[in-house]
Amino acid sequence: MARRPYDMLFKLLLIGDSGVGKTCILYRFSDDAFNTTFISTIGIDFKIKTIELKGKKIKLQIWDTAGQERFHTITTSYYRGAMGIMLVYDITNAKSFDNIAKWLRNIDEHASEDVVKMILGNKCDMSDRRVISRERGEKIAQDHGIRFLETSAKMNVHIDAAFYDLAESILSKMPEASDEPSRETVVPGQARQNTSGGCC
Amino acid sequence: MTTRYMERLAKIEEVLLIANKKIDVNELRAGCSYGVPESLRPLAWRLLLNYLPLERQLWQTFLAEQRHNYDQLIEQIIVEPGTASLEQSQAHSSDNDHPLSDHPTSDWQAFFQDNKVLSQIDKDVRRLYPEIQFFQLLSKFPHPHGRKYPLSRRVINHQELQSQEFGANRDGIVGCVKTTKAKSSQDENEVPNSEFHWHIVERILFIYAKLNPGVQYVQGMNELVAPIYYVFANDSDDEWAAYAEADTFFCFQQLMSEVKDNFIKKLDDSICGIESTMAAFHNLIGSFDPELHKHLTVGLEIKPQFYAFRWLSLLLSQEYPLPDVICLWDALFSDSMRFDLLQYVCLAMMVLQREVLLKGDFPCCVRLLQNYPVSDVAKIVAFAQDIREGKAPKPNAKEDSKGSKIARHARQLSDTLRNLKLIKK
Repeated sequence: MARRPYDMLFKLLLIGDSGVGKTCILYRFSDDAFNTTFISTIGIDFKIKTIELKGKKIKLQIWDTAGQERFHTITTSYYRGAMGIMLVYDITNAKSFDNIAKWLRNIDEHASEDVVKMILGNKCDMSDRRVISRERGEKIAQDHGIRFLETSAKMNVHIDAAFYDLAESILSKMPEASDEPSRETVVPGQARQNTSGGCC
Repeated sequence: MTTRYMERLAKIEEVLLIANKKIDVNELRAGCSYGVPESLRPLAWRLLLNYLPLERQLWQTFLAEQRHNYDQLIEQIIVEPGTASLEQSQAHSSDNDHPLSDHPTSDWQAFFQDNKVLSQIDKDVRRLYPEIQFFQLLSKFPHPHGRKYPLSRRVINHQELQSQEFGANRDGIVGCVKTTKAKSSQDENEVPNSEFHWHIVERILFIYAKLNPGVQYVQGMNELVAPIYYVFANDSDDEWAAYAEADTFFCFQQLMSEVKDNFIKKLDDSICGIESTMAAFHNLIGSFDPELHKHLTVGLEIKPQFYAFRWLSLLLSQEYPLPDVICLWDALFSDSMRFDLLQYVCLAMMVLQREVLLKGDFPCCVRLLQNYPVSDVAKIVAFAQDIREGKAPKPNAKEDSKGSKIARHARQLSDTLRNLKLIKK
């Protein structure tokens, strides 16, 4: 049998207020680079990255969305097919944190029920401008039973961890249909990070 | 060789000749549709966007009036609350206005409301065309009133107001848990009484948002105003460049009057909204190139929202580098049915990549369409015009791709255009 370039395809979605750093997070993950001057995302953008997890090649198809309210009708149509959603806020912008509730409602309305969610507090390198403590981020995630990480696309903090974490929880939800026992396979260098692990 | 270019230049110059009392707009359109020479572009765009009247003798008074109107708009709209003059505040109401007032006509209320719009504009204008330096440079012509009230500083001050954390216990006693003074480090490099070009674009967008509450500001409008401002501000004639801001504002307003429906969410499902524009575009692909249409929509389930939303609503301004966008807009602005031409330009872009698209899978096609390769925009425009006029042969599905008519046509086109060598520098 011809070998496929990947074993599984996961569709992920990045949402959150405009300017919180969704595009930067994605760029850091896909290209391992950082750029402060990204033009604003209009409509929807997308990137692909293949990762290896538990011995499986997983192709991540990641959709990056525009943050502004106006684009919601355009972007909510992608919620349905998404297997994982990353909800991003900016730790230096209180409004973006306050809007998490609104984004979660959006997910409830438009995404499939078993979608795996994750909240990211981005820009955690900017400690002098922080207005949302890590505890508040952890609290809201806990209240909704969602994973949480503080990230910095600029300093490359927890970016890979976030995507691997999300992919791993999607994978663990999948019915085990593999022909090779992957349970015993230990992939070195992929020890799971503590989800609420400290940063900055 | 360059004779064609010289001919066109001569033609446009002839239309714009001082001796002509009234400019023949059809002649102007015909002359400009394959690109306008840089030196004539600022004037040509002012005419093509229906800002300047066609009668030359009206220009002086018209421009003086419009520019004065713009100055007045700035003075009325950009005010710091609490600084209203005595007569204004007396006319206002008898009660004192203060930041916590919930009076609907309170200046402070309006101020906070405005800041929401402004903080969105501010985020976007700071990241205008990062690949060129222009918008990060100081303007030679800061606005005498506007520069006293930098809008970007207002956004930062506003953020500082928010940066206190309060905790409440069950008795409802609220205490300040932590105060963080946000540093406005972003603007440390600001020079007093001067303005960067992005400051000016910010003000234009803010004034537009204030005057058009039904549209306000939608992300992407920054991409529509920037090329116009860039063209006007780089006018080699300082007498015109000095009024780049005011003239850009009015030209932008003209342009928006034609495309604003794309930005209004309420109109999305209506006949004039972006959804139906996108549907019309996909139908156009279907009628010209059924094979490609079928491959994309049925085979790969690629929706126009994935790429055409941005192409159509931003007039392709995010797809190409600024000089190319400007050349493309020469053609769009010259067309009497300008946004009909846009649809054909988008179609031409698809057809020129059809070989790759037909072979590609979903990610490959979406990636290509979202990151359209660097191309000769003049070629694309010429091809679009040919398709619209029925001169371009429809791609034939059965024919071998190598010898297909379409590829031959495209090759011919690029040969002719190589000789034309347009204004691109």
